[in-house]
Amino acid sequence: MARRYDSRTTIFSPEGRLYQIEYAMEAISHAGTVLGVLAKDGVVLAAEKRVTGKLLDLSGAKVRGGYGGSGEKMFLLNSNVIGGVAGITSDANSLVNYARTVAQQHLLQYNDDIPVEVLAQRLCDLKQGYTQYGGLRPFGVSILYAGYDPHYQFQLYHSDPSGNYSGWKATCIGANNGTAQSLLKQEYKDDISVEQAISLVLRVMSKTMDSPTLGSEKLEFAVLTYDETAKQPKAKIYRPSEIDALLVAEGLAKKDDDAEMKS
Amino acid sequence: MEYNGGSVIAMVGKDCVAIASDLRFGNQALGIASNFQRIFPVTDRTYVGLAGLGTDVTTLRERFRYRVNMYTIKEERDIEPQTFAHLVSSTLYEHRFGPYFVEPVIAGLENTSSGSKPFIAAADLIGCLNFAKDFVVAGTASSKLYGLAEGLWEPDLGPEDLFETISQTLLNGVDRDAFSGWGAVVHVITKDRVVTRTLKGRMD
Amino acid sequence: METSFALTGKGYVIIAADTTAARSIVKMKVDEDKIKELGTHLLMAYSGEPGDTVQFAEYVERNIRLYQIRNLYPLRPPAAASWIRRSLAQSLRSRNPYSVNLLLGGYDQAENKPNLYWIDYLGSVVEVPFAAHGYGSYFALSLLDRYHDPEAPLEEGLATLKRCLDEVAKRLVVSPSKYMVKVVDKDGVREVEI
Repeated sequence: MARRYDSRTTIFSPEGRLYQIEYAMEAISHAGTVLGVLAKDGVVLAAEKRVTGKLLDLSGAKVRGGYGGSGEKMFLLNSNVIGGVAGITSDANSLVNYARTVAQQHLLQYNDDIPVEVLAQRLCDLKQGYTQYGGLRPFGVSILYAGYDPHYQFQLYHSDPSGNYSGWKATCIGANNGTAQSLLKQEYKDDISVEQAISLVLRVMSKTMDSPTLGSEKLEFAVLTYDETAKQPKAKIYRPSEIDALLVAEGLAKKDDDAEMKS
Repeated sequence: MEYNGGSVIAMVGKDCVAIASDLRFGNQALGIASNFQRIFPVTDRTYVGLAGLGTDVTTLRERFRYRVNMYTIKEERDIEPQTFAHLVSSTLYEHRFGPYFVEPVIAGLENTSSGSKPFIAAADLIGCLNFAKDFVVAGTASSKLYGLAEGLWEPDLGPEDLFETISQTLLNGVDRDAFSGWGAVVHVITKDRVVTRTLKGRMD
Repeated sequence: METSFALTGKGYVIIAADTTAARSIVKMKVDEDKIKELGTHLLMAYSGEPGDTVQFAEYVERNIRLYQIRNLYPLRPPAAASWIRRSLAQSLRSRNPYSVNLLLGGYDQAENKPNLYWIDYLGSVVEVPFAAHGYGSYFALSLLDRYHDPEAPLEEGLATLKRCLDEVAKRLVVSPSKYMVKVVDKDGVREVEI
């Protein structure tokens, strides 16, 4: 029976549900995990990459300039906001492009970086539209926004395919988000510093990911802090080599025998 | 051009470039502000200076920032000065029959296989580019700046000598111009850093 | 003739504008308020072509209010100045441009400092410690060059303003008879008597 109300996003089922939206959310809960933690002096994001393999050409992430990252899960949306996406990658790319345009238009109009919540709202307006106007599929993407603005300093938001958004101290989207959420709930403390948040994120990540060891080929990582000398937020999306260095420093790097097996 | 006043100059040195401008913003003969920045960073090693009508300086600055930010975020690399010069040119020519009253000056270091190479360029108000090997000038004091630069500039100046040359050229040039002056700002761009200095000038 | 002044001090901006509404050589009204309160911490004095002024000021007022309703917090003074500048710059290249000159004064609650912007009908903006529009500017700016102190308390700021008003009354043939003075600081906007 349910199938009768499946074909369009605009139609409620007799139980008052929108099936296409629920399916979109289901798609996200199978996607690679994205995890965010808000600290008192920054925001930390980490994500699990699903598209991996020896033959994948990753040279694009290594060129000079740019802003780091492999462009699968972490995107610089504006100089003060990093986005972590979970869901259908192609949908995400289109949303990221939209977010960047919106942010730049705000900068053009007001000569001021877009406030984080306003950016999240603008994307949610777009996402909501696709839950209502006929014949179209909703975006199969959830996004975590790690940002800074002078109104509320550091912030972490989450938005889902229905166009809802909410602010968090620590949250997780994608596969195993239940496990990660409960781990975060146990371990999160108010007034946590960025360093503590980084190790918390990595610890939770290592427990929720399918593979037992962490490495740059499966992990993306980003930190947003405030640069006191330049008086502006500083977004850093880690390059693969930097992620490996970080994992070594945190004592979560791969065992040596793994490396031996690879060679 | 004479409505708000202001002048910009750029010079090539040895493995470095410099760009400088005055800080006056006026309303014809009446001075309004002595803190009007008309040189803006495009990337870490490229700067653009805009001489001309104040409102268009601000409008173009915002438009260029928009275009460059979108370029950087999509291409995942910084824009080259030469590429930026053509962006400036095409943006101005779009308004061929109702132009922005602005003369832009671009200075930066180009990325080449063997390191970096100095680049300067200037354009007129409809975007006709002028790639120079020595120096370029723009604004209400441009004629005076040409004369001084012709006399003071020499090839292969180091960053410190280039700073001295461009500063003397600008300060003495704007002193002979009623619409420019009221302090100056100089940026010297080298391979690994940009040195920015604010200079005091005659306040008359 | 129409004249407006503004100056900053320690944690405040003072804006003064004459209160005459004239048509040709006739004074039609002597109690016109030409300083709009755009928000709790934002003031804008406007002058220029009659008709354009009120129309444009209300257009700005409503748009700034709309931003505040939509986004839960008001535009900060620098952002408001940029938005207004853009509106004027766009209008300049339209079929019939607004000819309105503005002084925008605000108190930035995020950075706890006062901001003052001089804006003309072309859409030029400069952030300044003191500013003036109209014939009065030729007298006031040189006085303010000499007497303005960015760290002065409010009483001193008002005294400096008084010097400007007196000078204009003394030397300008077509000097205005009455001014309205408003102040914006951390507590918001208010009118003061001078």
